[in-house]
Amino acid sequence: MKKQDLVEGIKASFPIVLGYLPLGFAFGVLATEVGMTIFQATLMSVMCFTGAGQYIAIGVLQAGGAIITAIVANLLVNLRYFLFATSMVPHLKDIPTGIAAALSYGLTDETYAVAMTYYQKNKATTGYVAGLNLTSHAGWIGSTLLGAWMGTLITNTDQFGLGFALPAMYTCLLVFVITKRSDVIVALASALLCLIVGYLIPVSMSNLSNIIIATLIGATLGVFLNDKRN
Amino acid sequence: MTNGTSIFLMIIGVSIVSLLPRILPVALLSKYEFPEVLKRWLSYVAPAVLGALTALSVLAPEGDINISIGNIYIWAFIPTFIVAIKTRSLFYTLLVGIVSMAVIYNLSIIS
Repeated sequence: MKKQDLVEGIKASFPIVLGYLPLGFAFGVLATEVGMTIFQATLMSVMCFTGAGQYIAIGVLQAGGAIITAIVANLLVNLRYFLFATSMVPHLKDIPTGIAAALSYGLTDETYAVAMTYYQKNKATTGYVAGLNLTSHAGWIGSTLLGAWMGTLITNTDQFGLGFALPAMYTCLLVFVITKRSDVIVALASALLCLIVGYLIPVSMSNLSNIIIATLIGATLGVFLNDKRN
Repeated sequence: MTNGTSIFLMIIGVSIVSLLPRILPVALLSKYEFPEVLKRWLSYVAPAVLGALTALSVLAPEGDINISIGNIYIWAFIPTFIVAIKTRSLFYTLLVGIVSMAVIYNLSIIS
């Protein structure tokens, strides 16, 4: 592992950590509000690196739902990472399988998009993936701890615009991963599809299965589009 | 419901189902050479997922689809999108997005 790669990965994670701050913080606040201890909230962010899934788990706890409900919902929410991880495999040839698999622990929407953008021009290295994924995860854990610890002090983070951190991050990552005309069509089609599916099947909005359906159809559409690279 | 043991069980369960989809493909498929058409298909996963995530986070910020001038996420999206395209910088995009939202949110409360 080269130090230079590691540093590059850590640097690439800073904007992600910035975006995770309000999200992890809010998770920490909510978790303690539904009765989790600071330790449990933080442990959850250590063992599960899944923002949406963790919010869902909190929602289930709050509603007094069964644990199995939280777990099944999380399985659905996290299924898209099966696609993400698979699409990343061709780029990871130079990293020993065991290490690549272990580092996939830190695969999220954000680390995925940043890494895939990097792989357009650079080779994946252990150092880069470790720097990017581990620092991002550390940011997630740290902000959860902060939120759980001092959560009751700040009640309304909306006024600071932090509610837009995640949409802004998605918007930018979308711009990053679009490199050719067919990408634009696929992204638009998938956006429209996930709204339509969500509208027709409301439950898919809450377990995010509309994203999976839209992705499967959108990517298939892409294969059929006759395009020249750039 | 929210006693210690059940919370720990939930954390372990969620941990397993969130880790397996991330780790299994990398662990099992790394020596496998994908056919060209599958590689092409996989290359469209990122634009498709991020298109869907962006649309949902802006057009259904509270979980229900809300396409109206009253949805302040749509207003904050406009400057954010422009900055993302112009700068291609995650940092500046986040900064402009968060500041835009703060301004729009506070204006929407006053009015």
